[in-house]
Amino acid sequence: MIKLDRRLLLNFDWTLFILVLIISGIGLLNIYSAGFSLTDLRQTPFYVKQLQWILIGIVGMAFAFFIDYRFFGRHAYILYGISIILLLAVFAAGYETKGAQRWIFIGGFTLQPSELVKLTIILALARYFDRHQFDRGYHLTELFIPFLIVLVPFLFILRQPDLGTGLILLILFLSIVFYVGLDWKSLLIAAAGGLILIPIGWYFLRDYQRERILTFFSPERDPLGSGYHIIQSMIAVGSGGIFGKGFLKGSQTQLKFLPEQQTDFVFSVFAEEWGFLGGIVLLVMFFFLILWGLKIMTHSKDYLGALIALGITMLIFWEVFINIGMVLGILPVVGIPLPFLSYGGSSMVVLMTAVGLLMNISVRRFILQSS
Amino acid sequence: MWKIGNRLGGYDPDRFRHKIKLLFIIVSVALSLLVIRLWYLQVTKGGELRQRSENNSVRLRKIKPMRGLILDEGRRIIVDNQPSFDIIFVPNRTKDMRNVIDKIKGLYAERSLTFSSVSSPSSYVKPFVPVLLERNVSMEKLAVVETHALDLPGVMTEVTPVRQYLNGEMTAQIIGFTGEVSREELDRNSIDKLTAGDIVGKFGIEKFLDSHLRGISGAEQVEVNVAGKAIRSLGRIPATAGDNVVLTIDSALQEAAWSAMGDRGGAVAVLDPRNGAVLALVSSPSFDPNLFNGGISYDDWETLSNDPRHPMENRSISGQYPPGSTYKAVIAAAALEEGLITPETTFYCNGAFELGDRIFRCWQEKGHGNVNLHRAIVESCDVYFYNLGKLLGVDRIAAYARAFGLGAPLGIDLPREKGGLIPTKQWKLSRFRQSWQMGETISLAIGQGFNLVTPLQLANAYATLANGGTLYRPRLVKQLESSDGHVIKVYPPEKQGVLPVRPENIQIINQGLWGAVNERGGTGYILKRKEQDVCGKTGTAQVIGLPQDAKARKAKRVSVDFRDHALFVCFAPYGNPEIVVAVILENAGHGGSAAAPVARKVIDTYFARKQLTKTQPQVQEALEVRGITKP
Repeated sequence: MIKLDRRLLLNFDWTLFILVLIISGIGLLNIYSAGFSLTDLRQTPFYVKQLQWILIGIVGMAFAFFIDYRFFGRHAYILYGISIILLLAVFAAGYETKGAQRWIFIGGFTLQPSELVKLTIILALARYFDRHQFDRGYHLTELFIPFLIVLVPFLFILRQPDLGTGLILLILFLSIVFYVGLDWKSLLIAAAGGLILIPIGWYFLRDYQRERILTFFSPERDPLGSGYHIIQSMIAVGSGGIFGKGFLKGSQTQLKFLPEQQTDFVFSVFAEEWGFLGGIVLLVMFFFLILWGLKIMTHSKDYLGALIALGITMLIFWEVFINIGMVLGILPVVGIPLPFLSYGGSSMVVLMTAVGLLMNISVRRFILQSS
Repeated sequence: MWKIGNRLGGYDPDRFRHKIKLLFIIVSVALSLLVIRLWYLQVTKGGELRQRSENNSVRLRKIKPMRGLILDEGRRIIVDNQPSFDIIFVPNRTKDMRNVIDKIKGLYAERSLTFSSVSSPSSYVKPFVPVLLERNVSMEKLAVVETHALDLPGVMTEVTPVRQYLNGEMTAQIIGFTGEVSREELDRNSIDKLTAGDIVGKFGIEKFLDSHLRGISGAEQVEVNVAGKAIRSLGRIPATAGDNVVLTIDSALQEAAWSAMGDRGGAVAVLDPRNGAVLALVSSPSFDPNLFNGGISYDDWETLSNDPRHPMENRSISGQYPPGSTYKAVIAAAALEEGLITPETTFYCNGAFELGDRIFRCWQEKGHGNVNLHRAIVESCDVYFYNLGKLLGVDRIAAYARAFGLGAPLGIDLPREKGGLIPTKQWKLSRFRQSWQMGETISLAIGQGFNLVTPLQLANAYATLANGGTLYRPRLVKQLESSDGHVIKVYPPEKQGVLPVRPENIQIINQGLWGAVNERGGTGYILKRKEQDVCGKTGTAQVIGLPQDAKARKAKRVSVDFRDHALFVCFAPYGNPEIVVAVILENAGHGGSAAAPVARKVIDTYFARKQLTKTQPQVQEALEVRGITKP
């Protein structure tokens, strides 16, 4: 399992490691600013907690790096099963915040199993498609099991209710299916089915979720609720201008006009204080991170590694795109964190672990031997 | 794109080359979209949005909901809301709070008013976070601040509703009080959308039904000027007032019990045995809940919480006392039902009961002679019950006591209810690692020893005797109504169990209880009314040990703190009881002489009013029609 091969360190992916550390560092500074005016002296400040999460995340990263990724591949279904059990535990013992049941307590920590599921689904799907390869595109019937793999946690997560994470799971599934290929007849049927499912899905959404989607199309609908979030977020971003207002000087942020400013709307804090230039730098870093992930995918020695790398890269890409799109008012407000920047332990630790897997795949392209 | 080398297991990445290209394009296009949007917002519209942010013109203001009212059984308002004016400071252009406070002090001084600060002015103010300067100010002060608004930048007045407790001390422990939400409460229930500064129930009914009473906050988007003053509203969602709570409390009985207690420590619990409704619940000494309106001052809080008499403790549900002789009814029920005695069984009382080398005395030193169960209850003969205790044993006593609702909380609609204590052999073994002694059972039989009950449990246990054997959950809440008067929820009577005692045995005990009040030699003669309709039992609970000789008993009277607790519990009218009253007076001496008069006052008040409404039914009707007037 763990082979302490010196090539493991020789070919270590420093680029990826340092890039992720820089982005997390920017996130930490940003959370310091976002929490600045909220600071309650009786509580541990957000940025200290976030630093703890980054450190724990690096431990997770090391864990995912040293163990051969094919070991995770072999036990993908077990890992998936564990994450589903944790998800179920949310219903049994979870506690609610803001009307949604998402967290469970484990040994003093709160864990959001739906974040973990994002990673275990990637592993499970990679395992499935690695084991079931064809020279042609997949038929719908052959996609039934992978669809089920996604559907089970998707329904649980929707019930919590957590629209954003559910959406990410679906998009991850579609991204991977896109990659492994679908035969064209199945594609047509799936597209038609999707169109039919939209109104049904609408029926299952919670009121506040519908409201958010409606508000997206016309923010004036609810100037006090989610429309207020979008408007204030856009004012914050826009008022940053080209150069930004400077660290700790964002008035929208410091005056608490912004909702959820250290979690989902953390990018607007960043954009207000660092301006267009800061925003571009951050986006370029994310772009580079995603490209690096695609590169690792292309260079992978085997199909399993390629699929895992694809899933992780797509997870980061979609979360970045949807989160920032939402903050900039071009996508509806759904609760999706900005990777490495949003405050929150589960997301940070899971993403760090995922990056550990990427580095794992990256370095083992030199180690795996043709048998 | 990138060089592709040799792969494992027939994996051929070339097959995916066009897809990788497509992914690259999707990612590039998506991120470019974000960049374009960022450019549009920050550069194209940057100036305009910057203007908007600098004007800071639109703010979201929370509209506090009106807390629900609390009414008594007769729909009289006992907790109301009244407006209170606070002076706040929003650090904006001026951040020097000390300077502002000095200015206000100066203005006050001209009119010989004094500034009473809420908190010490801290040098650390966060911009735009409002600071409360003075709470619940007089109209005079308000006028001063309002007229000098221009000289006091950032100073504003805010109107908030505060609670008005019309019954004051009388119902303080059951109604409770409100206060600003604490950090712990915020963390605990974030589902309730509580935010800092919200007012929540902290104690009593205010706490127990907080989620109903609180209401839902509204919000208003207001345009503010540079000084931070609201100039116009851009849309609002009104607050929803909390629900009104109708209690089962009968204010007349509450008042009667409260005034009869005087300043003595103790508690009174009054129940309707037919359904478990709590008609009165008094705990003394008490405190003034209006002190908490708009925040209690530090000094007041110190005085209250350090008072050695613990006025904030609700003795009626959390005071635990030995039941004394009132426990004899439970023992009698157990012995009858177990077939250990018949009503005719007699024991000889010569004033003492011997067990091994120990002697247990009867309160009547010269003895009661030959007594049967009826005489034993009427005259409260200890020796008779020592015998029953010996026959029953501790665990059988405990089983019956639990059936009477003793030894565990009854589930009344109040926080912090205690369960009392009903000892068993097992309990003593695990608590003290000692085996049970027979002598302890003997003490238990007259309600001494480890036994502890709350006044509410005592009333409830007698209510099960009064209603022929049904154990109800004591209910304090009759119904919930919306602020416009629609009934939202009615709390029906809740049966919790049936006494495992046959009706004829209950009848025998009730006859004894009737005799204890109405027959010659009865210990509860103070309750003997001309209707002869009250059944009752006295009790005297020893506070320290059990000195069994007369000299030691007399010596014990020296210190007030070690004097006996006086107990009395009764129900009426005999035959079809409607009311149960339990009274415990701390360190007041004998139950018959000290506690019984309090019960008498409650019983008299109840029947006097019943008589009145019988002769003047229209009065009752008129009261009902009037209903409540909305504030």
